Amino acid sequence: MADDRILLSAAGISKSFFGNPVLRDVSIALAPGRIHALLGENGAGKSTLINILSGALSPNAGTIAIAGQTLRALSPAGARGFGIAVVQQELSLMPHLSIAENIALGAAPTRFGLIDYRAIKERVSAITRETGITEPLDLPVNKLALGRRQMVEIAKALFRKPRVLILDEPTSSLSAHDVAILVGLIRKLKDQGLAILYISHRLNEILDFCDHVTVLKDGSLTADRPLAGMDAQGLVRLMVGRDPNDLFPPFQSSAADTVVLSMQNFRTAAVSGIDLDLRRGEILGLGGLVGQGQEDFLLGLYGAAEAAADRFTAGAATAPFRDVIAANRAGLAYVPADRKKDGLLLPHSIDLNLLLPSLARAGTGLFRNRREEQAVTQRLAERLSIRGDRGRPVQALSGGNQQKVALAKWLPLSPSILLLNDPTRGVDVGTKREIYLALQAMAREEKAVILLSSDTPELVHLCDRVAVFHKGRVATVLDHAAASEEAIVAAALGMNHGVAA
Amino acid sequence: MSLYWAIQWRRNEGLGALFIVLAGFLILYAVLFPGILSIGGAGRFVQNWFPMALVAVAQAMIMLTGGIDLSVGAMVGLGSVVAATSMGGAFGIAGGTAATLGMGALVGTGVGVIVSIGRYPAIIVTLATSFIIGGAALLILPRPGGAIPPVLSDFLAGDHPTAVLLLILLVLGWKLYQATPLGIGLIASGDNPTGAYRSGVPTHRARIVAYALSGLLQAGAGLYVAAQTGSGDPVIGQPFTLAAIAAAVLGGVSFLGGQGTLRGALAGSLLMSVLINVMFFMNLPPVAQYVVQGLIIVVTVALPQLKQMLRRAVR
Repeated sequence: MADDRILLSAAGISKSFFGNPVLRDVSIALAPGRIHALLGENGAGKSTLINILSGALSPNAGTIAIAGQTLRALSPAGARGFGIAVVQQELSLMPHLSIAENIALGAAPTRFGLIDYRAIKERVSAITRETGITEPLDLPVNKLALGRRQMVEIAKALFRKPRVLILDEPTSSLSAHDVAILVGLIRKLKDQGLAILYISHRLNEILDFCDHVTVLKDGSLTADRPLAGMDAQGLVRLMVGRDPNDLFPPFQSSAADTVVLSMQNFRTAAVSGIDLDLRRGEILGLGGLVGQGQEDFLLGLYGAAEAAADRFTAGAATAPFRDVIAANRAGLAYVPADRKKDGLLLPHSIDLNLLLPSLARAGTGLFRNRREEQAVTQRLAERLSIRGDRGRPVQALSGGNQQKVALAKWLPLSPSILLLNDPTRGVDVGTKREIYLALQAMAREEKAVILLSSDTPELVHLCDRVAVFHKGRVATVLDHAAASEEAIVAAALGMNHGVAA
Repeated sequence: MSLYWAIQWRRNEGLGALFIVLAGFLILYAVLFPGILSIGGAGRFVQNWFPMALVAVAQAMIMLTGGIDLSVGAMVGLGSVVAATSMGGAFGIAGGTAATLGMGALVGTGVGVIVSIGRYPAIIVTLATSFIIGGAALLILPRPGGAIPPVLSDFLAGDHPTAVLLLILLVLGWKLYQATPLGIGLIASGDNPTGAYRSGVPTHRARIVAYALSGLLQAGAGLYVAAQTGSGDPVIGQPFTLAAIAAAVLGGVSFLGGQGTLRGALAGSLLMSVLINVMFFMNLPPVAQYVVQGLIIVVTVALPQLKQMLRRAVR
């Protein structure tokens, strides 16, 4: 491809945060009429690269070339001026403003200094037709479901008539229907000559409609080539730098026959008709697309959401737990997905976070026993290989290590049932493996584990059984032998019922 | 229906109950005190309400940015003091009015800069400035004094519908302001600051302008109060701090920013004003007002929770 075809390019970009290199000598070039995929594990530096291309961050080294100019860095306004639009993963919408106002915000046409609502309506309607937004334009955005907001986000980017469109995991919260609309739209934009940078973890999407791929691994470039002739296996190898099968420890089952948790027609606000048994030492996976009720099911079990059941036994309990304290007493522990918000006290030390659930039990009488506490946290840190000074605030740790702390803190209570909500989300590969080993070790110690995961290979490689959720019900329960990625994804899409998604 | 009006209509959502309660109280008030139904009575009633309406709108603007202003009362006091001491100067009424409003806008700008660019919490900054502003008012006039020219007093608070006209101007001005990119930027930067910034909204400018206009309205309320009494009083504004918050909250303006309307704030302040009048005529001690206002804030804030509990109990 000739150089003069390139619309936006970055060369030799390096960036570090607090001395941690996040990007090392990365180059990327976006051409008009080409869909360029950006691939990489979480933490590989994709977001940082996008932020540099959109002017939100300045690189420590390297240059950016656009429209014949070579710059040290872009500003957000500068990037907008050059026609670079970003659809972020974290939504940039105003919940209380209408769809139309959100789409036009910051770029609204005016007449005599006043916002021209008639012009907005005209231009916005044209875009919403293409993006499949059928809701009334005056509807406040907070009335929309997450996936629909994502479509508004995309419409907002298009409103600015961009020449470069950067899409950061646009399909992660979309329904199959909306994904189809989006893919059609992206192809059309490509034909119109836009340069498109497409970030996604869904390899099949990338193989399906992207033309070129850049792969990042730990902040370095591992591939920059046309996609033709690549397959999913090859892409994964470039992302993880090793065979994907090495990521998982060999499967081993510790499941005993004793049932520790049993329910019939368990139901919460979002799920119903759930019949499941959980055996001692078993790892039960919960799969399915995001938002099919898996999370609500876990919270219902844990007494954090209202739940009811025709029959329910967990140890001595014969009804779903009314609150978290009751669930804790019965030996349940829950590790939330949003560890930063729900799982940890970020500004406080690793030690304190590790001790928190057991503070009420540790020590003798009224006062804390510091030496005993140190011994406890030392053991926990060793067990989950949390390295370094434990007096550091938890927020100084990487996402993966934070997750280890969120998990480890429950172990002193020796819970008999562990409820894990997507424990490896946003965790780097090395730490993932450590978490997998820790899970297997817990199962060996006769704890029962329920593992909710958005990462299908985890369910395949770690779980004794996988319950796949679809629309608030368990669509199917697969044994380890039957739980292939294909089977889980098929069930998640509701294909067992003969309903194509 | 055009897009603009459709959006405006949507913003009535959640205010229905307030409008009904307000109508009920107004009817009750008219039954108890039929005098309000005459033109003169209604005029006096609006004059009583007017400063409260100004501070409620001023507070609502700050709350829309996601902040809160604890210096409203002090600012009303300083406004009344500046008005009562500057009107006698060489520039007369026009100069005094300009000095008062300009002072409000200037102080507001300063606070806005500290809060927006300095990124300090508004609650702390305005608590501190409330002491500075209140102290300044006491330094200028240690005890009530100064004078408002009788002409101005008569024009603003005499037998003329000036307050009604000013209210109409306020509503029109707000509509225009909200139809500018900066006005919608005010709501956007309170609703989702990061998103607004990324969308190209000049968030700092939007916030600072909101603080400046809010300060101007507060000082204007001080001027009006001084016109009503004929002199300046450094501590006359004190009750307005709590009343402004109560009125805004009652009017559906959220503490979290980005949510609220002028019509809500005005309706909230009108309800507060009626309540205070009723309590006054029922010979309740003035302190009871504070108890009621405090209760209103607590109950209004707790209302969503209560509703949810009620719904659960019913199920």
